[in-house]
Amino acid sequence: MEGSLMGLKIFLIRVKMVIVTCIFGFSVVLSGCAPTIMKSSPEGYRGTSQEAGEFEDNTEKPVLSPRALAALQLTEQGRMFLEKNQPDNAIGILERALNLNPNNGRNYYYLAEAWLMKWNIGQATEFNRLAEIYLKDDSEWLNRVILQRKRIKEQSQ
Amino acid sequence: MTKNKRSINIFFKRLFKWYLPTVALICGIMLLYCWYLSIQIDKRFSGRRWSIPSKVYSDTTILYPGQKTNRTLFNEKLRRLGYREVAHKPVNKGELNQSASFIQFYLHDFIVPSRYKEGVPVEIRFDENRIESITNLNTGQALPILELEPEEVMLFFGPHRERRQLVSIDQVPQHVIYAVLAAEDRRFYTHKGLDPKGILRAIYTNLRHASIRQGGSTITQQLAKNYFLTPKRTFIRKLKELFMSLTIEVMYEKNEILEIYLNEIYLGQKASEAINGIGEASFFYFGRPVSNLSLAESATLAGLIRGPNHYSPYIDKNRCQKRRNKVLNAMYEQGWISDEELKVALPLPVEAVGFGSYGKKAPYFMDYLSEQLTLLYSPKDLSSLGLSIYTTLDTQVQMAAENALIKGLDSLEKSNPKLYRTDPQKQLQGAVIVMQPKTGYVLAMVGGRNYSASQFNRITQARRQPGSAFKPLVYLSGLDKFTPASILSNESRIYEIDGKEWMPQNYAPMTEEHVRMRTALARSINLATVDLAMQVGIDHIISTVSKFGFSTPLKPYPSLALGSFEVIPLELARAYCPFAADGVLSFPLALKEVLDENDVVMERRHMSIKQVTTPEKAFIMSSLLQSVVENGTASSLKDMGITFPVAAKTGTTNDYRDAWFVGYTPDILALIWVGFDDGAPIYTSGSKAALPIWAGLMNALPQYVSGGWFRMPPGVVKRVVCSESGQLAVEDWCPHPIEEYFLADHVPADYCRIHGGGDSFGRIIDGVKDFFN
Repeated sequence: MEGSLMGLKIFLIRVKMVIVTCIFGFSVVLSGCAPTIMKSSPEGYRGTSQEAGEFEDNTEKPVLSPRALAALQLTEQGRMFLEKNQPDNAIGILERALNLNPNNGRNYYYLAEAWLMKWNIGQATEFNRLAEIYLKDDSEWLNRVILQRKRIKEQSQ
Repeated sequence: MTKNKRSINIFFKRLFKWYLPTVALICGIMLLYCWYLSIQIDKRFSGRRWSIPSKVYSDTTILYPGQKTNRTLFNEKLRRLGYREVAHKPVNKGELNQSASFIQFYLHDFIVPSRYKEGVPVEIRFDENRIESITNLNTGQALPILELEPEEVMLFFGPHRERRQLVSIDQVPQHVIYAVLAAEDRRFYTHKGLDPKGILRAIYTNLRHASIRQGGSTITQQLAKNYFLTPKRTFIRKLKELFMSLTIEVMYEKNEILEIYLNEIYLGQKASEAINGIGEASFFYFGRPVSNLSLAESATLAGLIRGPNHYSPYIDKNRCQKRRNKVLNAMYEQGWISDEELKVALPLPVEAVGFGSYGKKAPYFMDYLSEQLTLLYSPKDLSSLGLSIYTTLDTQVQMAAENALIKGLDSLEKSNPKLYRTDPQKQLQGAVIVMQPKTGYVLAMVGGRNYSASQFNRITQARRQPGSAFKPLVYLSGLDKFTPASILSNESRIYEIDGKEWMPQNYAPMTEEHVRMRTALARSINLATVDLAMQVGIDHIISTVSKFGFSTPLKPYPSLALGSFEVIPLELARAYCPFAADGVLSFPLALKEVLDENDVVMERRHMSIKQVTTPEKAFIMSSLLQSVVENGTASSLKDMGITFPVAAKTGTTNDYRDAWFVGYTPDILALIWVGFDDGAPIYTSGSKAALPIWAGLMNALPQYVSGGWFRMPPGVVKRVVCSESGQLAVEDWCPHPIEEYFLADHVPADYCRIHGGGDSFGRIIDGVKDFFN
């Protein structure tokens, strides 16, 4: 009795194995004919920084567009005001730079710095967050942004 | 002899008894009166001597190589800034020389908060309408950026409408002082307030000509008369003038008196505004500060004192020249100028700089600004403290906006005579606001068609239904649950609101029963939008929209999705800014700084931001709204010269009562509204009425068009999806695959189940799963 039960079990296992093998084989055949998911075009399709005015071309050494160059002049003036501990003057100039080239992440960084000088943690946090978005590809500046965030947190406590 | 003695005695007795006390009494009274006058004079002169109107300035203008410009607007700007054309290379500040390919001009010095810029001669070379280069003509150095001074746009006048720029006596060149003395009071430095010789000479001259040719008043007398007395010609007034002059001379130094006089005198009229003081006059007539006036110009100004409007170079140049030459000759007679200087100056023509007829510039913007200023300062302070008020206004954008609106409304009236109304109060109206979305700077504001006919500011005061221009906020709310590829129902349904049935309809009949979310917004499909709204939940939409700063109430009705609740146009424009600014809402900024008359900052305002949505959602919204222009209701923009990427939305309300267009790029955002104040229909849509105005405006502002687009944030991904199912497209099987943006945590997981046998494959997989289960 025990032996016949055992034989039935082995039989069922074998049947199951055959079925599984068949299904697996069938699935493999089917998957060969299965549809392929389409890939999107690489990043940089309409709407990246290249067209946004910061860089004119994306060769090895990116050349700044005249507009970005002009904005950088203002950014530099803003930075100098910060060095002189004149955050209000800095903000005024950096806002103009931002209007001229909204993609320059350093503007946001310096604006955060200026607001931090004025002890306005809310605005400093907002600009720091924006700086991160625009400087994510620049490891050196991203590091500064992260450090700035720490300082903002410290100052808020 | 005895009789004589007695007479003498009587005389002396009377003298001591009556005359001397009387004289002493009179002298005492005079002294007391002079003392009283001295208190009055001191009170006036030690306090604020003049009411100086506060001036409102536009923002400075930034120029850089590679920038496109509108040459017409730019030239007008330079003219308004007081640059005058000369035929030679500019050598003095304010001179300008131009040709088709270049402009050379000598910049004015200017002060803006925290910065002083000294004028230098520059040359701007153009390649058609693009700035090719900017060069400092002194050094030959190429300039990467050039900042033009802010433009005076308004004055807060007191009741007398006097313009005045104060100058100190140290700023006034000697030849200007000599010219004034030669014309008015040659012995000013020697007399004590009265000039008997001058009076006798005036009497003699007037008798000889049997008419009043000359006055005998000294500068001090004129000052006393102008400052303290009425112009009435009475004996008492003359007596008062005399005492006052003597008192002033005792109290003040000669140079102090002269300085007050030079700042006080009336020197002409600019429309309804009085030109007072030599500082203001030198700009009004010659476009330069008094320190830069030539000898001939100084004599011209001095000659004006006698009759500012009679001798005005703007009225009669010949008469002005004759008068000027009289002054020059008088200066020569006094030995104040040499023979050679006289010979050079006499034949020179009188050349005034000219002035534009003064109309209120950007009146609606100014009203908006005034509302903010009156919260800080009283009207009296604004008209007397001589504040400098700096704003975000760009006068070139303002002019372009005004022109585009007028042209657009005229064109609409011509195309449909039913829109034309003769009564200016009832005319077809429109409004424009232009902002910089990142900072909230208000560059221009046109609150109506004609300010003199209606001061109602339709940008800040009107409450109108936004119609489909509200839809982007509904779609933004939907991004939590849906994607741009989600399929929405476009079938007609009846909704029950407060026990009443509401059956929204599409603008035009459509055959499609289902549409993608992107298509629904691009084509402004009402039924699909309501479907989305109902699936998202009206409360959720209200919760999202409430962050965008609307002050008007929104009620939880499904019709909210179609923009049925009134909004203030300024707030609607502002609500679009986060889409163009990484999800950041900025406060509309018009007032930047207020400086007192000593250039000390009294008030300062900066951009103020808060995050209202994520940068990822903002990017996707801009992408969705770009479809409106590329293949939606605003596709006609491409035929109107708009070739750069734009995100936009049209809006039309029930019965065509309002037409809207809101469009933006990363650099600029503009909202246009067209309609009647009384809500009468305009018989056309936002794409026909408001869109062409937007196009006209942007075509006039190449300096604000970078042609750029938004960066794709890291949290956004792109996938190819089937346009019919909205699911991942299957290569070679889906007939119309499209690229679509998705939030990284909201990417479709399934691939197309409509095409390429996806269904049978799925069934097999399901069967295998069931078997193992």
